[in-house]
Parts: sequence; C-alpha cells; structure tokens
Amino acid sequence: MSPSVTALQCRDVTVGHAGVPALDGLSLTVGAGELLAVLGSSGSGKTTLLHTIAGFIPPLAGEIWLADRLVAGGRRTVPPEHRSVGVVFQHYALWPHMSVLDTVAYPLRRSGGTRGQARSDAAELLGDLHIGHLAGRRPSELSGGEQQRVALARALARHPAVYLFDEPTAHLDAPLRSVVLDEVADQRKRQGTAALYATHDAAEALALADRVAVLDHGRLVQLGTPTDVYERPASLAVARLAGPASVLAAEPGSSDRAPRLVRPDWVGLDRVSLGDGGAWEARVIAVAFHGPHTDYRLGTEAGELLAREPGPARFSAGERVRCSLTRSWPLTDRARIPDASQPAADEPKLA
Amino acid sequence: MPPARARPVNLVLVIALLGALIAVPVVQLARTAFASGWSGARAAAGSRQAVLALEHTMLVSVLVTVSAVICGGALALVVERRPRRSRTLLRAAVISPLLIPEFVLGFSWSQAYGPSGTLDRAAGITVPGLLGPTGVVLVLTAHAIPLAYLVTAAGLATRAEPDLELAARASGASARTVLRTVTLPLLRPALTAAAALVFVTSTNSFAVPQVLGEPAGFATMSTLIFNDLNLSASPDVFNQLAVVALEQTTLVLAAILVFGLTLHGAATESVRGPTTAGGRAAVGADGHVASRITTALIGLYVLIATVVPLLVLIGVALTRGPGLAPIPANWTTSNFAEAFSGPTWVGLRHSLILAALAAVIVVVMCLPTVLGTGRRSRTALGAGVLMGYAVPGSALAVGVLIAYGSPLEGSALIILIAYLAKLWAVGHRPLSAGVDRLVPEHAMAARASGAGPLTAVGSVVLPPLRAALLTGAGLVFVLAVQEVTMSGILYGPGSETFAAVILNQQDLGSDGATAALALTMTVPLLVIGLVLGAGRRRPRSPEAVA
Repeated sequence: MSPSVTALQCRDVTVGHAGVPALDGLSLTVGAGELLAVLGSSGSGKTTLLHTIAGFIPPLAGEIWLADRLVAGGRRTVPPEHRSVGVVFQHYALWPHMSVLDTVAYPLRRSGGTRGQARSDAAELLGDLHIGHLAGRRPSELSGGEQQRVALARALARHPAVYLFDEPTAHLDAPLRSVVLDEVADQRKRQGTAALYATHDAAEALALADRVAVLDHGRLVQLGTPTDVYERPASLAVARLAGPASVLAAEPGSSDRAPRLVRPDWVGLDRVSLGDGGAWEARVIAVAFHGPHTDYRLGTEAGELLAREPGPARFSAGERVRCSLTRSWPLTDRARIPDASQPAADEPKLA
Repeated sequence: MPPARARPVNLVLVIALLGALIAVPVVQLARTAFASGWSGARAAAGSRQAVLALEHTMLVSVLVTVSAVICGGALALVVERRPRRSRTLLRAAVISPLLIPEFVLGFSWSQAYGPSGTLDRAAGITVPGLLGPTGVVLVLTAHAIPLAYLVTAAGLATRAEPDLELAARASGASARTVLRTVTLPLLRPALTAAAALVFVTSTNSFAVPQVLGEPAGFATMSTLIFNDLNLSASPDVFNQLAVVALEQTTLVLAAILVFGLTLHGAATESVRGPTTAGGRAAVGADGHVASRITTALIGLYVLIATVVPLLVLIGVALTRGPGLAPIPANWTTSNFAEAFSGPTWVGLRHSLILAALAAVIVVVMCLPTVLGTGRRSRTALGAGVLMGYAVPGSALAVGVLIAYGSPLEGSALIILIAYLAKLWAVGHRPLSAGVDRLVPEHAMAARASGAGPLTAVGSVVLPPLRAALLTGAGLVFVLAVQEVTMSGILYGPGSETFAAVILNQQDLGSDGATAALALTMTVPLLVIGLVLGAGRRRPRSPEAVA
C-alpha cells in the first residue's frame, strides 16, 4: 500500500485485559484526506480505539500503521510523542497552569522550535482560528466553545498526519456544535490530513463523515458510507445507532413474512378518504410537531411505526390514515428483534 | 436548612471558644514573654541555648521537609498510578509509620539501630549519629513521609491527571518532559501543602528530639522548653521559656503564612470541568523491572522504618535483661509487671478518660462550627480552629498553664483544656469536609416533604455525616492517647497520663519496662487506626443507598 492512499491502517487490533477485550480483532483503513466517523454507544470502545492509535494503550495483538510506518504490533510500540497524531480529547484536557498561547506553543516547542518561535507560530495559528484574543487566558477563564477551539488549535499545531477527535462536541450546545464542525471540515480540507471522529451522535456522524465505522462492544459491526449505514444497516443494533427506526413484523400487504426496518422518512401518509392506492390503513397514536417536520406514531397490524413528514401536522391523534412505504430493509438478525407489539425505539417526542 | 444563613448564636459561641482555648493562652504567653520588657525578651531570645535551639529546630525542620516531600511526593507519583489491586497494599505500607506514635518510633529506632542496640549486638550494625541530629532528622523524615504522601496523593486524585498527561504525550513530549512541564507544575499546590504540613509537624515535634537528641545534648525549642520547665521553678527561667515558646509559635505561624501565600498564588489557577475518572493505565511500557524496583524500595523503607524497630521493641519488651539475646530462653513477662507496678494503671486510666472526653467534647464543639454557619464563615472559623493545631504543643501547654494555671494547676482539667485547643482542628477537618459535600437541596427537600427544621437535620443532614463524625472522634481519641508534650508539661501529682509515665520510665533508663509500655501504647492504636482506615472506605455504599 502506498502512503499516498492510506493514512491509517488497523489490522486485527485487539486491546484490553485477557478475556474481556475492549477491542476485538478490529481492522479498518483510513485513506489520506478521509474523515472516518467512529459511531458507537458509550462503552463501545471508541475512546479505546483512539487511544490505541495515539499510542496510549499498547494493543494485545494486531498491527497499527500510520501512513507506511508500523507504530504498534509485534514487539514494536512507538511512543505517542513519536507518532504523527493530533488528539482532541473528550474533555479537552487543557493544562490549567498554562495560558492559551503556551498551550498551543507546547507541541511546537516539542518539535524543536525555540520558545520565541513556537510562541509566534502559535499566535499566528490562534489568529487563523479567530481566537487570537484568548492568547493570555487560562483554561478556567474560557467558555466551553473557547476551550474546544484551543484544544483544536493544539492538535493543529502538531501538524499531524491523522487527527483523532474523541467526541469533541459532546458537551457543546447545538449552535456552537455546527460552528465547530464547520471548522473541523475546513481545517481538514486545507491540510489534507485524515481524521477519525468518535461520536455517539448519528446525525453528526452521517453529516460529517466520508465513511462511518460502527462499533458495538469492541467489534466493528459495519463500515460503509453514511448512506449505507443509514439505509442498509448490518443489524438492528446498527440501525438503531444510525438513526430513528421502526421494525415491522412483516411488510403489510406483502406475502414475505420477514421483519422489516422502516425509517420514518420512508413512510408516505394520506387521508383514508382518498381511496385505495395499494396502501394499508393505520391509526395515529400520537403526533409531535418538531418545527421543520412532524412525527407520527402509528399503530399498524404489524406493529408500531414512526413516520415523519415535512411541515406542520396534517393529522391528529386517533385519526385513521393510509400508509405506503417508499422502501424498507430486511433485517437479518432475527434473534434480536423485539416483540412487535412493543413500541419501537425513537418514539416521537411528545413533550 | 436554608442555605448559608449564619446563626449569630452559633458564631458567638464558636468565637468565644476560640478565644478561650487558643487566643487567651497565646496572648498570656506573649505577656509573660515580655514581662521584663522588650529588652528582657531580646536578652532571653539572644541567650546561647535559645539561639542554638532555634538553629537546631530550623535545621531539623528544613531537612525533614525537603527529604520527606521529595520521598513522599515521588512515592505518591509511583504508587498512585499503579493498578488498583497492587496500589492498596503499597499505600498501606507507605502509610504504616504514621500509625506508630512518634515517641514509640523514636524509642524503637534507638533500641534497634542505636549504639549497643539489638542490631549492634547481633551484627555490629548501627546507624551512625542516631543519637543526635542525624537520628532526629532520619526518624522524623520516616514519620513525615506518609504525611507528604497522603497530601500529594489527594492532590493527584483531584486533578484530571491522565488526560492532561496524555495530551502532552500526544503533543510530542517525552515521559520526562511531561513530568517537568505538566505533572510537577500541576502538583505544585499539593507539594506546597505537604511541605507546610511537614514543616509545622517537625517544628512542633517533641518526642523524637527528646528521645534521640536530648541524650546527645542536641536540644530543639520543644525539648528546651520541656526540660527547663521540669528542671527549674524560678520565675526568671519561666519568663525565658515563655520567650522561646513565643518564638517557636511565631516561627510556625510565619511558616504557615509563607506557605499559605505560595499556595494562594498557585490555587487561583483553578481547574474546571474535566472529570475523567482516573484508573486508566498511564502511558504504558514503564515495564515490570521499574515497578518491581519501586515495590522493593517501598518494602525496604517499611522494613527499616517500622518492621525492624517494632520487632526489636517486642524483643526488648519480652527479654529478661538488657544485653541479652531476644531468644525464647530469655523471655519473660517481668518487664510488663515492672512497667505496670507504679502509677501506670492510674496513668492509663487518666489517658483513656481524657482522650474519650476530648473526643466527645471536640465533636460537640464542632457541630455549631460547621452546621449553623455559612460556607464563608465556616472557612474563617476553620482557619481559627486550625491555629490551635498549629501552635506548638510545648508553647500551647505553657500558655494554658499561664492562663488557667492558678486555679487548675496540676489537675486533669488543665490537660483537657490543652487537648481541646490542640485537637479541635482534628475533629473539625473531616466534619467540615463532609458538610461541604452536603447538597443543600437535600435538607430543602426534607422541609418541602413536611419535616420540621430539627427533623430535617436529624433525618437528612446528620446521617451522611456519621462517618465524618466517627472519623473525627476516632482521630482525636488516638492522638490524645499518644500525646506526650502537653501532658508531660501540664500533669501534676495525681493527674499523670500514660504518656507522662512512659516518658518518666524512659528517663529512668529501664529499657525493658519502657519497651513494654511503648508496646502497650502502640498495639491498640494500631488496631484502631486499621479499623478507622477500613471504615473510611466503607461509607460510600451507604451514601449511595441513602
């Protein structure tokens, strides 16, 4: 493999204590300039994966390649300071005893710059990120969003081949999030480096990433484009992680009795009075208006179904409606399908 | 409990107690020191023995502080990063010297490593200079390492250390650079606090310099005050002593001020937010060799500092005469019989009663200090209470003697007053920390659920504090039983304490009987200490249930 194609490669990486692996035989490849989202619930091994790549945790087995360099595997473990990675930590990990300027100058100092040179480069970088005015402050004097940007600036100052983001937006409110996400995309495009972005938020992963790796209990359960993961999930667990989903015991009106995954945007709704268009009837259990769209919880003979339509509510609770599906996805792991009479996850928000 | 509404009655009560227990003795001490005017005080302070004592005290304190903080801090950095299982045992090992009374540690070292001590007779091994400054510094350092360790470990626990260090590694810093640029700067407040605690403790220490320094003519301020007070009853000597005692008090308070200012500068860099629970393995690859070496070093330290001296103490206590080998053929119980022949039982009873009274009264005194006060006045009162602990025991005893001596001299009550002044802080600290952790909404929720103010305190506020109250009372009891300095100065005929009896016994030179008494003093306290240590870990689960 040539370094111009691959920025990071994990081969059969296993991490953890004997018997209870935190990562179990994980293999993945990240191309140069690619952003790979690592999607998983808490405890799925996202942070462990990032920390293993960064060199904080030695793998029990497997190999890790950064570009064309073996950094972990066999007898060889390259310490973190000699790996070309930039890490943005979950809680930022800003040093309380250093000013913003010294924090950003720190990696520049370590890569051999003089104090003055490191500081002036750091000041320039802070200016690029529009946070030059924070240079003299301490972390305790920064807001959450400012801390986020300083942590980002510190990672950027390292000029790494791979960025590792550990849920950097988990503690930010929505408007601030989008600002930060834009910044990440922009920086990455300009510098052309690859990035791993760990998150438990499907919307963030789908919107941001070139490809999505779904982790569950330390195993890689699916690796594909955002569309793949959303429309063709490998399992019910992946389906639930990747967005709102309902499971019908079978597709109504079809002879196939296999359980089907239905995303809320795959359901079409019409008034019963409009006549039979090959569709079937359902009863509206609850309605939730979200602004740009409206969610309906529907009771059907095959189980509860979540439907989403743009705009305000057209139907009210108790009404009967006519449904049709633009598509559905057969679920293969039958063992995990819950009782169809139970409401599916991701019910419409009624509060 | 409405949040932070100070109750004036409580405040007045606490301030009155602070005045009576701490301010009055210190002021009386100062008045006596300046009884013959400014020039008389200066002459007393300039006398050869006073100057020597000051120099010796400073020398011992500085050396002990430097070495204990370096060793304790380094041990904390190594041990606290270990995986939980091996950490618990190592931590207990490092802390063990703290469970042995200072007097017993000094005496057992002299019996083990001193000239014609057990090791000298068995293998010709002595610690050169054990009787004298070297020995005083060595034993005080052994005793202070656990203190420095505990303070540093607490500092490590409150910081989100692992991520901050990982971030530095990810920024390209080597392990050594991380230590220099991140770990040590972040530990500065903890190390400063440890240095302050060790400095004050060693400046105030009496038993070790008395046992190891005094025979070699090496006097510190504490031993000078104690010995001259016992030798002479003339008012002139007494005024000179008051000057030395005041000097010692000033030295300690000035040190606290300096350390406090340093700490204040460091503490303003407060940390916000990051609360990744520790426990993640630090950057690996330290290797088994390094960790085995540190385990071996800690084992060696515990062996030399506590295990060998204690074993020797047991041997001396059980062996028939001085100079005989501690083998079964020479074993006897006659040392215990001799030790308990005189006023020992009476002294033991006095000590236990005094310690129990002190524990109960201190807890009662703490309740108005922490419960009926707002957070800010609680901090201020806490500082006042802490002064009592900081004032050297010898100086406090002289102050109490001057202030309350005329009606109470020689009675047990005057010892109790000194204990209360000294140990108030010991009960106050855990309770105050417990109150700080209380959620004010809990009491509000109880009130909103229909509980009256007293019911709310009894049902919601006090139960979570039970562990803190017990810890405080237990610590006061243990320290009061061990206390040597103040009871040694203040006891009179008929009010001698166990510690005073031991001190006298040791003065008489009967090693076997002294060892028997020292053992009697240590074992129950070791047990109480272990029980308290075990109980300390428990309260988490009941809190979670409640």
